[in-house]
Amino acid sequence: MSTPDHVAPSASWLSRFFGEERDAYLLGLLRLALGVLLFLNGARLGLELARGGYFGDFFHLPIWAEGLVPSRAGYTALLAAQALAAVLAFLGLWPRGALLVASGIGLFLLGCDRLQYHNNRYALLLLGFLLAFTPCDRSLLIAKRSPHSFPLAERIAPTFARRLLQIQVSLVYLSSACGKLLDADWRGGQVLHLRFATVAPFWASHGVRLPGSIDALLSAATFASFASKFAIASELFIALGAWFPRTRRVALWAGVLFHISIELSARVELFSWVMGASYLAFVVPELRERRFEYDPRRRLGRFLANAVRALDWCARFELGELTPSEAELGAFRVRGRSGAEKRGLGGIALLAEAIPLLFPAWLPLALASKLAPKRALSSA
Amino acid sequence: MPRSLLDLPLKARAPFFFAYLIAQLAISIWALRSPDFVFGFQMFNASSDMKISLYRRVRYKGRSRLIAIRDGTWQAKDAHGQTHEFRWQERVRDGVLGTLDTYVHASYGLDAQLFRLKFALEDVANHVPGDEQTEAFVALVDTVKNGREYRQVRLEAARP
Repeated sequence: MSTPDHVAPSASWLSRFFGEERDAYLLGLLRLALGVLLFLNGARLGLELARGGYFGDFFHLPIWAEGLVPSRAGYTALLAAQALAAVLAFLGLWPRGALLVASGIGLFLLGCDRLQYHNNRYALLLLGFLLAFTPCDRSLLIAKRSPHSFPLAERIAPTFARRLLQIQVSLVYLSSACGKLLDADWRGGQVLHLRFATVAPFWASHGVRLPGSIDALLSAATFASFASKFAIASELFIALGAWFPRTRRVALWAGVLFHISIELSARVELFSWVMGASYLAFVVPELRERRFEYDPRRRLGRFLANAVRALDWCARFELGELTPSEAELGAFRVRGRSGAEKRGLGGIALLAEAIPLLFPAWLPLALASKLAPKRALSSA
Repeated sequence: MPRSLLDLPLKARAPFFFAYLIAQLAISIWALRSPDFVFGFQMFNASSDMKISLYRRVRYKGRSRLIAIRDGTWQAKDAHGQTHEFRWQERVRDGVLGTLDTYVHASYGLDAQLFRLKFALEDVANHVPGDEQTEAFVALVDTVKNGREYRQVRLEAARP
């Protein structure tokens, strides 16, 4: 973490907080993700307009004064402008202004009909709004000629709005957890018990018949009671644990699994994707502080190196080749941020810890690597 | 190096930061007091069901009577004695409020859906030109809160 020249090292905590300057690369990645999600959110509204007609022609419930609700033509134009802004944000053409326009239009339209209000849409629009105030325009600018990102010196920029983004993510979980905690039916498991009863029919409608043991588990009131308390604790842990370096990884991992379980049991529009993307705001901004070294003569080494090149979207790893003497100990070696070096399953766990697509497997792999005999994989 | 109008100067960052947080806090408090938690983050807050049965109040031989509306459709005469057909779902397209005589999941909770239904009744009452017979629309709503609290709620909206 660095502070700008005009903020003295002895400055107050607040001055240092608001003067914080970090690598903005990952904010560009977050911009790509939110650009896609904002476009999909607007596209769904466009489809509803085309198929079901203009919401203002039917019963609707505006939060703003009725006079502010746009006409059909105005609504169509706003949706088109929102879609265009989302595309520009994704491509990196005036991306911050585009994010502000896309999210601003979305927030305005959300207030035009509370029947169309959904938490995931509101969360997406707030995150898009806040991201516009971060230097997310310094990396992954697809429309710019290669290289798509500015050099490191130009990517270091004030990132105080990233902290607001993190706070907003925590507020989503805190608010949700507190609402459940204060509700006796939720705490006691009654709400989840009834919701679990819909899981088997939900999968049956998709042609999947759940095994009897899972069906029995989902029907058990005790399981629902336990799951309720676990869900509330999980949301509280994600909200608070993501702030502390020691608990951050586990909190984000719990969050990913929490959303995978929601996706498997309910229809929640873009909610899981929005929250999953928002986790990028919690990732340490500095790049390539870990190292992956491989033996190019071995198939496993080459395979893993290609996988790292393709999937290391957060640019966590510096790639290198092992010397012949080092390669005798295994096909690859991973060095974590702390400097600890791992091979075999432990090394794979270190990769999964930092690669988004593999992240759900991180904790099981890390635990397995503690239990598995050493060098089981490194001798491959 | 890219420059943006959205790069707030150091002095403006703290006011922006606290203004945003205060606005969020105010919106959250407002959302908690709102029956449908709009702009609040209350995910999966209930597993309640409701069944809306719709009626219209008409005057017949000097007396007020309730007539059931089947499948959301009813017929009524205009000022010239001509009969017209009306449909609840032509005005109310919402998946929950548009479903009649069947139990449906009350998304965002019963309070949210009853709050919205009250406005839906008023909206329909104000948008059926040509129905000179109906004096009011009445909804009898059977509610099941989280699978165990049964209650019937009556809502009514008079025609202007």
